[in-house]
Amino acid sequence: MTSALCRLVARGERTVRFAAQALAKRTCASGPRPGRKGLIWTWPRFMGKNDWGDVMTSVKEQLVLGEGSEAHSGAGGPATAPSGFLPGRFMHLPLVRHISVHQRYRLRQSALDLTVLFLLIQVGSVVAGSVWSTSFAYTISANILTALEAIPLLGITAIGVGVLMVAGEFDLSVGSNFIFSSIVMAMLIGQGWDPFVAALFGLAIGAGIGLLNGLITLWLRIPSLITTLGTTGIWAAATLFVHGAASQTFNLSGPFATLTSGTIGVFPAEMFWMLGLAVATWALLQRHRLGNHLFAVGGNAKAANATGISVRRTKLFAFVFAGTLAALAGILAATRVATITPGGETDLPLQAIGACVIGGTALMGGSGTVLGMALGAALLYWIEDVLLLLGAPGFYLDAFVGALIIVAAALYGVAKQRRVL
Amino acid sequence: MTPEASEANGPVLLDLRDISKAYGGSPALDKVSLTVRGGEVVGLLGDNGAGKSTLVGVISGVVQPDSGSLRWEGKQVSMRSRIESAELGIETIFQDSALVRSMSVSRNMFMGRELVGRFGFLKQRAMRDASTEILGTVVGIRGVDSPERLVGGLSGGQQQAVAIARAVYFKRKLLILDEPTSALAARATAALFEYIASLRKDGLSSILVTHDLYDAYQICDRFVILERGQVALNATRDELALDELIRIVCRG
Repeated sequence: MTSALCRLVARGERTVRFAAQALAKRTCASGPRPGRKGLIWTWPRFMGKNDWGDVMTSVKEQLVLGEGSEAHSGAGGPATAPSGFLPGRFMHLPLVRHISVHQRYRLRQSALDLTVLFLLIQVGSVVAGSVWSTSFAYTISANILTALEAIPLLGITAIGVGVLMVAGEFDLSVGSNFIFSSIVMAMLIGQGWDPFVAALFGLAIGAGIGLLNGLITLWLRIPSLITTLGTTGIWAAATLFVHGAASQTFNLSGPFATLTSGTIGVFPAEMFWMLGLAVATWALLQRHRLGNHLFAVGGNAKAANATGISVRRTKLFAFVFAGTLAALAGILAATRVATITPGGETDLPLQAIGACVIGGTALMGGSGTVLGMALGAALLYWIEDVLLLLGAPGFYLDAFVGALIIVAAALYGVAKQRRVL
Repeated sequence: MTPEASEANGPVLLDLRDISKAYGGSPALDKVSLTVRGGEVVGLLGDNGAGKSTLVGVISGVVQPDSGSLRWEGKQVSMRSRIESAELGIETIFQDSALVRSMSVSRNMFMGRELVGRFGFLKQRAMRDASTEILGTVVGIRGVDSPERLVGGLSGGQQQAVAIARAVYFKRKLLILDEPTSALAARATAALFEYIASLRKDGLSSILVTHDLYDAYQICDRFVILERGQVALNATRDELALDELIRIVCRG
């Protein structure tokens, strides 16, 4: 039956498709809630009033809609359009539930507020950059390109550190891990290794550093803050031992360079790495059993243990994850920046943890969102960028970043106490 | 014979014989024997330091007794962790280590026992629907409108009810509730005890460690009072009036 709905769906009419999806969800959820507000949607302008029944019939047939709401009892809704209906205008569709109560709680647990804040800040900055284009060069292409290249390097590290923080542990060694694994990779490529093999080796080093952090922390039962503070020094020294204090230049072309630092349009490869990792990590945390275990061991290790979750194994995974992602960020940075400086990236741990805190990841573990971590990284970069553009001296940057992290942690603490979040 | 008492005459579920445990020479438990039958609610009372926590630890597998035997459904068993006791069907609900506050009710329900599809990915909808169903059946849990709510946002009584509902869902046979009402208001306590009592008809037994004598008296079939590591009293409710119980506990 080529009903109006089918035609509309075929034409990609988004509102109708959305309505159909919402109807499908509703039939699976806990049942209709009579009298609830309907989904606000637009009636396609080109559809006449008489097409209403046609759409409803096809919705009913496609989705086997069993129940109607109170106002429009009978399957499939009313045969004619409700009064007040005008083509092309917003209106309530009483058949479809407004955002369900489940979705409302899930939204509250997402980084929605931070997303809104981030977008507002961006809009404000772009407007300011356009108005005072000479004194505040936010919108010039060089600034945007630098941002797109720099945010992923912090963001990828932050996602790794954030997953570890969700599990209730910290990693301060991501900075020296970042340098050590990338410098070993660069040296191996210099010795004639295939770049891909060398990069895998670099990732393995990162994973190994994470594993060691985890083993030390869990075996000796010391706070990971102390463990990784110690291993920071060890791997920084290891860098000097295998390489010396001179900078390693790293010039590479070919498929490896394209994959790590090429561009599609204005978007650098790092951006896609971060997006891919963010989606994968989101799936891990929110949709996978292991993610559930990570939240559980971070939120209440005793309770997790009592239900049979292996706290050690779960935390060990998180340590390895953080180490691997730090190494990946180092490898991506190596091809982008073309030099690796031993002794660099000392503020990376602070920035990565700061990005997570700004993104709403709990310092005591048990909660956090990937979106928040990525947005936190972007916001941290934004602060630095704005300060630089306004001509603030470089040494003030760290102070601002530090202050921002403290303020964010305090605000989240207050919000948690008042049960806003 | 009251209906409660006849219900409590199920087969023997847990049988402790002469359990002793000493910490560094000072005895915490001294030849304690305790029997719990199917569908029975046992009130475990006693002063601080009387050995209640140690006894709860022994039954939940956390504490290893120095001597004595532990029989579960007629078979000699030894448990070395809470996980092993859970495998037998014993669930211990401690106030602060039952649930993860930063996780949703649904995630807590299936914590460690997630319903998963291919590659370990969660069956979100199945877990949510099951949680919704469980929440709908629980007496003391009204007001939890969605399994997506964070446990930390629930009241103390609701949290206890969620923990108990989880044990019921996973077909536990014996619940050990350690001071379940110490942080609850009177109304929540009554609701929670009503819920615990309602589980009896499904054959679920409970050991209730509590100070709430008045409320406990309404639902317990039997009272065991510990005193300096020994069983000072083991009596069914029929044999013991509330005044008498209070007098014994207060004298204790």
